Amino acid sequence: MPDTPTPSPRPRLGVFKLASCDGCQLTLLDCEDELLLLGEQIDIVHFPEATSPGQPHGPFDVAIIEGSVSTPEQRDEVQAIRRNSTVLLTIGACATSGGIQALRNFGDHDDYRRIVYAQPEYISSLATSTPVADHVPVDFELRGCPVNKHQLLELITACLRGRTPAIKNESVCFECKRNGTVCVAVTQQMPCLGPVTHAGCGAICPAFNRGCFGCYGPKESAATAQLAEQMRANGQSNEAIKRAFRLFTAGSEAFRKESQRHE
Amino acid sequence: MADPTATPMLTLPPDGLSELFARLVQQGWRLVGPTVSNGAIIYDEIQSPDDLPTGWTDRQAPGQYTLEKRDDQRSFGYVVGPQSWKKELFLPHEVVQTSSLNNGTFHWHGANPKPTPTAFIGVRACDLAAIGIQDRVFLEGTYVDPHYQARRDATLIIAVNCTEAGALCFCDSMGTGPQARQGYDLCLTEFDDYFLLESGSDRGKAIATQLPATTAKPEQQAALTTALDNCRQQMGRTLNTDGLPELLFGNLEHPQWDVVGDACLACGNCTMVCPTCFCHSIDETPDLASGPAVRERSWDSCFSEEHSHIHGWSFQPTVKDRYRQWATHKLSSWHSQFGTSGCVGCGRCIAWCPVGIDITEQVTAIQHSPADPAPLPDFKPITWHARKDPLQAASARIEHITQETHDVVTLKLQMPDNYRDQPGQFNMLALPGIGEVPISVSGDDGGAIEHTVRNVGKVTAAITSLSVGDTLGVRGPYGSTWPLDQMAGRPVTLIAGGIGLAPMRGVIRHLVSQTRDPATEWVSVIYGARDQNALLFNNERKQWPTNPAVKVAITLDRASAGWRGNVGTVTTLLQRKHQPIHGIYLMCGPEVMMAAVIRQLSLDGVPPENIYLSMERNMKCATGHCGRCQYGPHFICKDGPVFSYAQVRPLFGTPGF
Repeated sequence: MPDTPTPSPRPRLGVFKLASCDGCQLTLLDCEDELLLLGEQIDIVHFPEATSPGQPHGPFDVAIIEGSVSTPEQRDEVQAIRRNSTVLLTIGACATSGGIQALRNFGDHDDYRRIVYAQPEYISSLATSTPVADHVPVDFELRGCPVNKHQLLELITACLRGRTPAIKNESVCFECKRNGTVCVAVTQQMPCLGPVTHAGCGAICPAFNRGCFGCYGPKESAATAQLAEQMRANGQSNEAIKRAFRLFTAGSEAFRKESQRHE
Repeated sequence: MADPTATPMLTLPPDGLSELFARLVQQGWRLVGPTVSNGAIIYDEIQSPDDLPTGWTDRQAPGQYTLEKRDDQRSFGYVVGPQSWKKELFLPHEVVQTSSLNNGTFHWHGANPKPTPTAFIGVRACDLAAIGIQDRVFLEGTYVDPHYQARRDATLIIAVNCTEAGALCFCDSMGTGPQARQGYDLCLTEFDDYFLLESGSDRGKAIATQLPATTAKPEQQAALTTALDNCRQQMGRTLNTDGLPELLFGNLEHPQWDVVGDACLACGNCTMVCPTCFCHSIDETPDLASGPAVRERSWDSCFSEEHSHIHGWSFQPTVKDRYRQWATHKLSSWHSQFGTSGCVGCGRCIAWCPVGIDITEQVTAIQHSPADPAPLPDFKPITWHARKDPLQAASARIEHITQETHDVVTLKLQMPDNYRDQPGQFNMLALPGIGEVPISVSGDDGGAIEHTVRNVGKVTAAITSLSVGDTLGVRGPYGSTWPLDQMAGRPVTLIAGGIGLAPMRGVIRHLVSQTRDPATEWVSVIYGARDQNALLFNNERKQWPTNPAVKVAITLDRASAGWRGNVGTVTTLLQRKHQPIHGIYLMCGPEVMMAAVIRQLSLDGVPPENIYLSMERNMKCATGHCGRCQYGPHFICKDGPVFSYAQVRPLFGTPGF
C-alpha cells in the first residue's frame, strides 16, 4: 500500500461543436478564473476551440455539445458522442432547439441552398436543423443564446458534485422582478416574450428598455397563445407576432407552433 | 389606531420635508423612498425631497401602468408602483448559510446579517399592512427568521396617507387603508400647502420635535377626514370579503378556475409584485474550488412548476392548479395560517399581470354562482418562538449503516445531547454543495437516531452512498407526531406502503415494547411493498410479533419465486375483516394508497378523527417560511407531516393541492 492514497482520476470532459457560432464554447473560455479551478477538477481531453490536439473518441465522463444537428455527418457524430459519454450536456439555443438556422425548417431546404450558395451541389446538409435531444438522450439541456456563464459553471459544478443544478425552469419575469426592473410590457405595451421564456439570461433586455427576445426558448407551460393574443391587443400585427416567436429558438415546439399560428 | 389625544396632530410646511430628510440623514438613516425610474415610481435610495416623484402620478389599468404629469406639485400624488417594501426586508436574493470542512467534519454557518439602518419614506397604508403580514410570517411563527428580523429591527417607517385612490386600489375593502393606522414612526398626509404629521412611536415623536412643526388647526384636522373619505369613494376596485375564505374553500372545483387557468401565463409576476407573497427557494450555489458551499435563498412563486415538485412528481402541474393555489392561499387559507387575509388590496397583481388578470373579477365570478362554503381551521397563534437560526444544522457522524434493500439504507447518527424527537417527526439532512432533504426519523437508539433513506434523487443518492464515520448536517426535529397518547386501551392498525414503513417504525417499536391485551389492544401492522426485495427492516420486523398483541401482515405488488404470502394491495388485507370503529389507524405511503385505505375504513364506519396519515410535499426550509409545502390551510412541515384525516379531509384527494 502506498503511504498516500492515489488521487482518484479527474473526470474526463469533451467539448464538441456542431452547427453553431461558437459563442457558447466561448462562454466556457470566458469563465477565466473559474476555468482554471475547473481545470484542477476535470481533465479537458477534447475541446478544439481551446486546445489541440484533442481526443475526440472518448470515453468521456462528461460531454458538452454546442450546436444543432444540421448535416448527415453531425447526425452520426452525436450518436458516437452519446455512445462514448456517461453524461451528455447540450448547451445553447442551437443544441437545444435547432438555433437560428432552424428558420430553414419553415421553408424549402433546396430553395435556400440555391439562393445562398453559388454551387449548391457542394452543400450537404439536412432539410432541418434540429436539437441534439431529437437524436439521442440528453441528460441536461442548458438554454440560451449564448448560454449564461454562471449557469454553465453551475451545471458543470452540479455535475461534478452530483447535485441537481440550480437552473430554474421559470419565466424571465421572475428575474426581472428580482432585479427590480420595471416591466416594459406593462408600462409601454412593448412586445416581450419574457412571460413565456425560460429564465437564465438575468433578464438583460428589459433592463435596457427592450422586450425579451426569447433567446432561452419556451419555459414549461409556456402560454404562448395567450401572450400572442395580448400582443395583438396591444397593436402587434400577425407578421410581427410570427417574427417575435421565430428567432433564435424558432425550432422549439412551443415557439414553432405559435409562429405557425400567425402565418 | 394612533390615538390623537396621545399624539397631537402637527402641521409641517412643505419645506419641512427637507428638514425631515436632513434630520434622518444626520441620524444615520439610509433613506429609501419613491422616485421616478424607467417610466414608473419605484422605491430606491434617495437623498432629499428633490428625488421624490413631485408632480407625477400613476394611471393604472389591468396590465397597464403609465406615469402622467399632475396639475399640482405634490410629492406623494401617486398610489403604488411595481415594487414593494419586501425588497428591503425579504431580499430577492440572500445568502443564508455557508459551510466549511474541518478535519473531516462539516460546519454550517448562518449568515450574520448587519443591515444598514434604513428609513422607509412614503409607506402607504396597504404596504404598512403588508409589512405587518410579513412580520407574522417571518417573526411570529415557531421559528424566527434572523435575516428578516435584523433588517426589520433596523427600519424606521415614515408612512404617507393616501388622499387619492387608483383605478386598481381596493384597500378599503380589505380594511388596510387608505389611512395608516399602526406600525409607523411618523405619518404624513400631503395637502397642497402643508403636510399633516402624526407620530406613531416614541422614536417618531422625538424626530417630530426637531421639525418646524406646529399644532394642526381644527380645520386642518377636519381636512384629513374629508380627504380620506374622498379617497375611499375613489377606490377603483372592490372586493366583498364577507365569508370569502370559506366561500373560496368550498369552491375549489368552480369552473371559474378553468377560465382563469386558460388565461394565465404562469409567469409569476403577480406573486413577485405582491407585497405579502413570501415563498422562496433555497439553492446551493457553485463551489468549484475549496471555498465554502453557499446556500442562497431567492424569491420563488407558486406559479413555477418546480415549487410543488417532488422527486419526479409535481402536485400542481397545470396553470389552473397554480392560480387556484395562489388565490385561495391569499384570500382563504392565509386566515388559518396567519390570522389575516394575505391580500392588502394594493392592486399590484392586477396592474403588473401582463395579460391583466384581475383577482377581484375572479372572486366576483365565483361569488355570482357559488357552491356552499366550507369551514377552515381556526388560526392558532404561536406563543413559543425558537431563538436560534432555524436553518442552522448540526454536524452528525454516521455510526452504523444498514443496507436495507438495493436502494434503501438506514443510517444511525450520533446526535447532540440535547436532541429529542417523537415518532412521526422528521429532520432535514444536508450535504454541503449537494443539498438538503426532509427525511423522517425511523427510530432512535440511546442518543443515536436512525434515518431510513431511499435513493430517489441527487441528494438522497449522495446520502445513501456515505460511509460509517462520514458526517452530514442535521437540523430538526420538525413537525407533528403520531398520536401516542391515543393508543392505550384500543386496537391500533398501522398501514404502510413501501418506504412509508420508515416513519412508522418508531411508533411500532413503542407499541411492541408495551404490554397490551391481545383481545382489546391488539396491534396490526399491514405492510405493502413492491416485491420481496423491497421489504424493509427484515430482521427487526420478524421480532415484532414476539409481543403476543402484535401481528404483522405483508402483501406484495409482485410475487417472486418462493413467496408464499399475500399478493395485492394493502386494502385487500384490510377488507378481510371488519375494522373496529374505535380503533386508531395510522398510515404512511403513496397518497393513492392512503386514499384507498381511507375509503375502506370509511365504509367500515371508522370516523375521520381515528385515522392518521403522514404526508409529503416539497420543502426547502421546514420552518414554515418558504411556503412550498402548503396544503390548503396547512403547512406540511409545521402542522404535519402527521395529520388526522379529519384535519385534511376537505382537500385530501383533490388534484392540484
